[in-house]
Amino acid sequence: MGIRLYQQPSLHSPVLIAGWPGIGNIGLIAVDALRTMVEAEDLGEIEPWEFFYPRKLIIRDGQLDDLEFPANRFYYKKSEKQDLIFFTGEEQPVDEGSAYAQGTKAYQLANLVLDVAVKFGCRKVYTSGAAVALIHHTARSKVWAVPNAAHLIEEVRSYQNTVLMSDIEGRSGQGHISGLNGLLLGVARKRGLDAICLMGEVPAYLQAFPIPYPKASRSVLEVLTEVLGITGDLEGIVSLAGHTEEEIDRLCESFPQEIKEQIDRLAREPLERTSEPGPITDEDKQRILEEIDRFFKRETKED
Amino acid sequence: MGEKQPFRIYKRLRIASSSLVVGWNDDASGLGTRVTDYLVKKLGAKDFAEIEPDGFFPMAGVSVSHDVVQFPECRFFYSRKHNLVICKSTPPRTDWFRFMDLVLEVAERYCHIREVYTFGAMVSLGAHTAPRTMLGVASSPEMRRELGAYDLAMDIDFETPPGQRPTLNSFFLWVARRRGIAAASLWVPIPFYLLTTEDPRAWKRVLEFLDRRFVLGLDLSDVDREVEVQDMRISQMASRSPLLSHYIQRLESNLQLTQEENEKLVKEIEEFLRKNE
Repeated sequence: MGIRLYQQPSLHSPVLIAGWPGIGNIGLIAVDALRTMVEAEDLGEIEPWEFFYPRKLIIRDGQLDDLEFPANRFYYKKSEKQDLIFFTGEEQPVDEGSAYAQGTKAYQLANLVLDVAVKFGCRKVYTSGAAVALIHHTARSKVWAVPNAAHLIEEVRSYQNTVLMSDIEGRSGQGHISGLNGLLLGVARKRGLDAICLMGEVPAYLQAFPIPYPKASRSVLEVLTEVLGITGDLEGIVSLAGHTEEEIDRLCESFPQEIKEQIDRLAREPLERTSEPGPITDEDKQRILEEIDRFFKRETKED
Repeated sequence: MGEKQPFRIYKRLRIASSSLVVGWNDDASGLGTRVTDYLVKKLGAKDFAEIEPDGFFPMAGVSVSHDVVQFPECRFFYSRKHNLVICKSTPPRTDWFRFMDLVLEVAERYCHIREVYTFGAMVSLGAHTAPRTMLGVASSPEMRRELGAYDLAMDIDFETPPGQRPTLNSFFLWVARRRGIAAASLWVPIPFYLLTTEDPRAWKRVLEFLDRRFVLGLDLSDVDREVEVQDMRISQMASRSPLLSHYIQRLESNLQLTQEENEKLVKEIEEFLRKNE
């Protein structure tokens, strides 16, 4: 079980920013966009074969040429303001029947990621994922932030367009972050590192679709660039988010009228994130999700 | 308390050099089970080790098949006369690399294996009476050359199509190469309508290769009889159904069936062979 580092740069208290796939690929898109924005260089990788099943076999003239595994790569960027380490994983190590990483392999992988961060003097970690919320896809996604220590709460409150779990209606500060985007926070806490997970809001009616939702990634990216003092061009992700919104508009047009009306209500009457009763009830929410689920099961059968 | 060893050794062997044959017991048409069982029986191979299932299989109850409880197993047998190690295993459900590395670890440490052979089924759209050309994939140029002496199709270029995953045998080939062990995977075509029943022609084709490769001196006349019996049963079925007879004749003439015809043929043959088991 190994880490391969391509180089040994001298970094000053770098911040680690890690992302794995998940609903809407929020974290992965945000981390990749930031990495590209600062032109980070290759740093190393985690050998994948102990964690993942291969994804591609290549045979040439009757001989095994290569077996490709999901990539788990580190990148770095030295800068005057803040040195950075990036980690992106193409897959989460999952057990059979599970959608998210869990168990021994996930814990091992989280520790390997932090081994590299700690080796270069990292004291702070950011991960990113999705927060499924009752919002409309034309609305700006807020960012739900969860720190791994109480002393980080005040810092999180200063972030733009960001809410804590206790700000979300009915949650009383409780919640769950699935997979490695969450697990890394716990392992970081165990190892004495500060860590914050930034989750971009994804409309609840899109959570079951295997499509990216770059609008939420954009919100996460806006927070990260501000926090890390990075100035860069967000045009790429803004354009991608706009394009995706148009696609979702077209998708929603294919929904049955009743579902469309329910979704349109979200656009007209955005859900309050306070403890005040919202205009969309839990029953409404449940009905929308069930209707959409039924609709797409029917669609799949008809394909 | 120290960490539990993930395998059990019943008998410590002192073997200077040997070869390993691995068969998976969930193969199409029972290929892995039938070939490994046949080798163990005919060679008088004795079991000497097993890998513990914990960590590689979900220990959440048991499945039942043909009225009997099933439980994952990975057992090693050894034929001293032929310097052959046979591994009969349930394919791991998780932690694949560690499992296959452990299989090779046991075989290397206790039997000093120098080469590994895996075999598996590939779906054929042809008739059961058609000749079976087995494909071979080697882990190295040397193994590629060695396999050239056998009747195998090896001029293969292949990349896993999007949405599919490599087979466990391909992963095994890679793990063996990583440990510096020469390896080959063999692929025998099995007609689509025999995938869930039995296909003695496929077992025979694999056994013929292993017989030649390791000079086992196998008398395969009993497998020939099984081929004859199955041919006869399929002929009986075809004689009762002009439509199925027509389908099989078309396949024997290298003509393909429609999806609907394929499904009908599979259903009828599976039902008939099961009823007449």
